[in-house]
Amino acid sequence: MLRDPNMRKYAAGWALFAVFLLALPYVASTGTLRIFIFANFIAIFAMSWDILSGRTGYISFGHPFLIGIAAYTSAMLTYHLGTPLYLSIPAGIIATMVGGTFFFVPALRIRGTYFALVTLAFMELIYQLTQVLRPDITGGTRGLSGLPTILTGALPNYYLSSAVMFVIAVCLWLLIRTRLGTALSAISMDEDAVKSSGLDTTKLKLFAFMVSAFVAGVGGTLYVHYLGSIAPRAIFDINFLFTILIAALLGGASTIIGPIMGAFFLTFLLEYLRPLIPGTERYFIYGSIALIVYVLEPKGLYHIIQRLYGALMRRGEA
Amino acid sequence: MSQIIIQGLLLSGLYALIAVGFTMIFSVGRVLNLAYGVYIMLGGYIYFQCVQVWHLPKPVGFVLAVAAGVAFAVATYQILVRRLENNPVAVEISTLILAVVMQALIVMIYGAASRTMWPLVNGVLRTDGITVPYNILIATIASWFILGGLMWFVHKTHMGRAIMAVSMDRKGAMVSGIDARRISLITWMISGGLGAVAGVFFATYTQLDPSMWVGPLIIAVAVVVIGGIGSIMGSLIVAHLIGFMETITTSLLAAELRGVFTMLLIIIVLIVAPKGLFGREEL
Repeated sequence: MLRDPNMRKYAAGWALFAVFLLALPYVASTGTLRIFIFANFIAIFAMSWDILSGRTGYISFGHPFLIGIAAYTSAMLTYHLGTPLYLSIPAGIIATMVGGTFFFVPALRIRGTYFALVTLAFMELIYQLTQVLRPDITGGTRGLSGLPTILTGALPNYYLSSAVMFVIAVCLWLLIRTRLGTALSAISMDEDAVKSSGLDTTKLKLFAFMVSAFVAGVGGTLYVHYLGSIAPRAIFDINFLFTILIAALLGGASTIIGPIMGAFFLTFLLEYLRPLIPGTERYFIYGSIALIVYVLEPKGLYHIIQRLYGALMRRGEA
Repeated sequence: MSQIIIQGLLLSGLYALIAVGFTMIFSVGRVLNLAYGVYIMLGGYIYFQCVQVWHLPKPVGFVLAVAAGVAFAVATYQILVRRLENNPVAVEISTLILAVVMQALIVMIYGAASRTMWPLVNGVLRTDGITVPYNILIATIASWFILGGLMWFVHKTHMGRAIMAVSMDRKGAMVSGIDARRISLITWMISGGLGAVAGVFFATYTQLDPSMWVGPLIIAVAVVVIGGIGSIMGSLIVAHLIGFMETITTSLLAAELRGVFTMLLIIIVLIVAPKGLFGREEL
């Protein structure tokens, strides 16, 4: 792993990214920082989606299910029992990993389209259940508000979310550079071939699902304790799924930097469009942009940039 | 009791109509068109625009709604799906994005609030303590006629048989001289038209709402998943299964639990019998 000749280049890239994140508050306004906090969370969710779907090729249309379990568990514990955050957040993460096995069991039998549908059904199911089943605990349609927050103010929250996002990104990046990561990517290409070369695909998949659930759990719990409120329509929603999916795909699935780029790009677009068109109409513009990019280059922005960079280098040599 | 049976039958007829257009595309192209809900939404809103905003006669509104559904389906196929045809996951993702984009467009034009659509036909039929609005009755009867016509078309006409052939074995059909691309395009047109018709009916049942595409899409998905790939007969049976299940849940348990059992059924069937209850059979 360390013998990779490009290692220095990569390390420099990560360092540059860290400097960018650290320096941003000195140039950006509080409003922009809030936008970046949102971008960080979307990046975490997109990376979580990418580990499950981008890597192994099991497309999840129900990722909000995992995020929601984490968020709701922690929210309900703090709201009803007054559990301190240092206990409720790990509890939320563990609950998500248990929830992740709900995704994993169908993945033993079904692939592709059908898997995507099961996860979508899971999301709709929990969306309806949170409203109907024991609304006294879940808060029903209105959800819960007045939840404790970890930190207050834009700047501390910005640093917290950036740090978490950065650490997750680096850890995942190191992970996928191991042989384990290579095996996971191979599953998305040809699962049967991986199996016939003697690897236990069930264990590999379980590992990917658990990592994905863990990241979703971390993101979900921190997100709910940043917002201080939760409602079924804000989490178990096709638009939320859409934002995560687009961030991962627009940036470039099965790369680590891709989902982060996608999340930042989307959030920038959102910020840029805010004065022009407020409200949900934004989805029309960035949905259209995402659709065009996706249809023209399903591998995403990262791939486009890589290609441009490659073309430039070649021209430089000639 | 008889109220449940009547309501179940009425709801199921509509569900069958909603599902069958979705089934056809899946059967012929092996892709899930997640933008199918948009044809339903588009049908409803175009009819609303023509009849309740421009005050055109109802049949004109109906025809324009269907035309819009067909046109949009053709556009989806030609612009989006044909590029990605060898990659079903990409088709699903891009059609899902398209659906969200169209939802945003509807919000831009009509606002996020839901609109009430006038019934196609006014009045209520009352017999033996059962009350059925004429509107729903007409919609159900029309659904059955359309479904019957579709069965006839698929089984008896040359074009329909070609569609069936492509759905069974695309390469084989192409070898025997069928232009599979053209058949796919025609299937998408039919699907768009059916979706729009279902949308007009569905909107008079419930309301016009920018997120009204999600519910019918999930029902269509459920019917396809549970009924097995692209079988019209399987779709009809499952549409009734789901329709009755929802009616019974609504009247005996709680209206809010309606969707829960449908979701559970999808999950269980997909895990236990991924090929659906009725397996793979011809269209």
